[in-house]
Amino acid sequence: MKNNNNLAVLTKGILKENPVLVLILGTCPTLATTTNLVGAFGMGIAAMVVLICSNMLISLLRKVIPDNVRIPCYIVIISGFVTIVQMFVQAYFPALYEMLGVYLALITVNCIILGRAEMFAGKNTVLKSALDGIGMGIGFTIALCAMAFIREVFGNASFAGIPIPFLEPYKIAILVKAPGGMLVYGLLIALVYVITSGKAPLKTDFSCAGCPSAGSCHTGACMKKGEEQ
Amino acid sequence: MKKSFNVKSIVVLTAICAVISLLLAATNALTAPIIEKNQAAAANEALLVVMPDGTDFEKMDLSSYELPATVTEAYKEAGGGHVVKLTTTGYGSGFVIMCGVKADGTVSGAVCLSSNETLGHEKTFGENFTGKNVDEVVTVDTISGATKTTVAYRNAVKDAINAATILGGGSVDIRSEEEILADNLAAALPTGEDKFTKLFLTEVIEGIDAVYTADNGNGFVCVIGEQFIGVDETGAVVSGAEGDMAANVSAQIAILNASEETELDLSAYTDLPSALVSATKTATGNYVLNVKGAGYGINGGDDYHPASGEYIYIKVSMTKDGKIIDCLTVSQAETPNFGSVCADESFYGQFVGKTEADYEAVDGISGATLTTNGYKKAILRAFESVKILEGGAGNEE
Repeated sequence: MKNNNNLAVLTKGILKENPVLVLILGTCPTLATTTNLVGAFGMGIAAMVVLICSNMLISLLRKVIPDNVRIPCYIVIISGFVTIVQMFVQAYFPALYEMLGVYLALITVNCIILGRAEMFAGKNTVLKSALDGIGMGIGFTIALCAMAFIREVFGNASFAGIPIPFLEPYKIAILVKAPGGMLVYGLLIALVYVITSGKAPLKTDFSCAGCPSAGSCHTGACMKKGEEQ
Repeated sequence: MKKSFNVKSIVVLTAICAVISLLLAATNALTAPIIEKNQAAAANEALLVVMPDGTDFEKMDLSSYELPATVTEAYKEAGGGHVVKLTTTGYGSGFVIMCGVKADGTVSGAVCLSSNETLGHEKTFGENFTGKNVDEVVTVDTISGATKTTVAYRNAVKDAINAATILGGGSVDIRSEEEILADNLAAALPTGEDKFTKLFLTEVIEGIDAVYTADNGNGFVCVIGEQFIGVDETGAVVSGAEGDMAANVSAQIAILNASEETELDLSAYTDLPSALVSATKTATGNYVLNVKGAGYGINGGDDYHPASGEYIYIKVSMTKDGKIIDCLTVSQAETPNFGSVCADESFYGQFVGKTEADYEAVDGISGATLTTNGYKKAILRAFESVKILEGGAGNEE
């Protein structure tokens, strides 16, 4: 039962609570870094590393961190890991560093990471938080790669930088532009809704009831009985 | 109770910040050398373009060297070569050149990194310099129609070679020709206070290539080959020459000092060419003529109808038997960078010593054939004028 539970934590991020396509978090890097597959994959992995590390550390320190300074603490931890990842990418993958540019540093303010810290890691064990980080990271990476695949193959007639000659005359140039990114993003969200056939919570209104994160949220109206803020 | 709670918040946040800072410092210590190496390698790629055989490029600190003003950066490499980055002014806003110079002083490659020139010749012009040394570089032909751009490029490559020589521990005279001349003149006659004007010669002088007068009237500087000889206003040699040479210089200056000119009344002569504006005759029988020539835009058979509305005014002195003593372009309004070259001494200086028999042989101005022809025609009119003034038969067409 317990293993099952852990497995659910790991897998929910991939589809059911996919951070990008269901929770609609981290839209900025999603639109900005998905013009090619290499950049999207690199971004996904970088974010996943930060997510796992910050989730684990925050979970580890969840009893130590006072509630009223938890957000500054989370941000310090997250930005610390982001900077570490950034340094490693710059040192060992300079081409990827050039490609991602400022978006690498902007992982700090990626709402997926702060969101998971706030919604999950701050309340769960280290193991579960790590699994959540892995699951969410994989979900983020898959979503990015799916978008990048569509945008690069049909917008730029290439796959991970390798040209696809027979698609060259049929390029849909708008796909690599920001509006095209929005379009693909919307279509993917629709597709995920169809696949999960509504099992994923749908945002029907702006109350907590319609929030996909309501299950793991412990604040405001979602606060479970007996829990303190 | 509330107070202690706040203290805990501060302590925890500070502790987390400290730990994260330590982690960052450790990561930085680990990655910084690698990042630096990567960046150096990326910079070296540009350097390798101009020096394919170069290894271990290292940026040099230029602050302790006196280099040509165009040099902005320099790198040395293991084989003793240098790569020099230069910014030069061309026709418009200028351009940036990267030039590799091997240890033996030859150019290993030159490329233009960025430019805003109009014609784009600078994009490929650098190829002409590969394998050349400093003496060969200055003989690379410039491109007609893009003279300013290509001359600037050529000078920049020359600067690069000179900079490489200096950076390699050698010494090179990086002054421009004008600066060298000014320095030599000032050294020969300190009382001239650094202001000299080339004297327009109206007398035949022997053994002296050029004479400069101090603007303040304190004397002359005579140039003989590479020597600069200072002469005071009385004709006594003060520097640069001794013995026979000094005596000759004094004698020649005395001739120049004694020279007197009288204005000739041109209306007393018939058949003088219309190109002749005015003329004077010296006591020694030489003529100093002001002639006008038509430049670009000569219209039909009318020799003296320039399209610009401005003639080229030329001052020319010659002996009574028709040998040019000195020649000077007084004013012109030819096309800048093309016909306007006729105002450079490199062009009009060629006529010195010429006669009617051989004046046609001087080099024309590239890209300004009509200006050249108009100029030569004006010189021909000067020869004809002297013949008429001397009482011989003119041969005006």
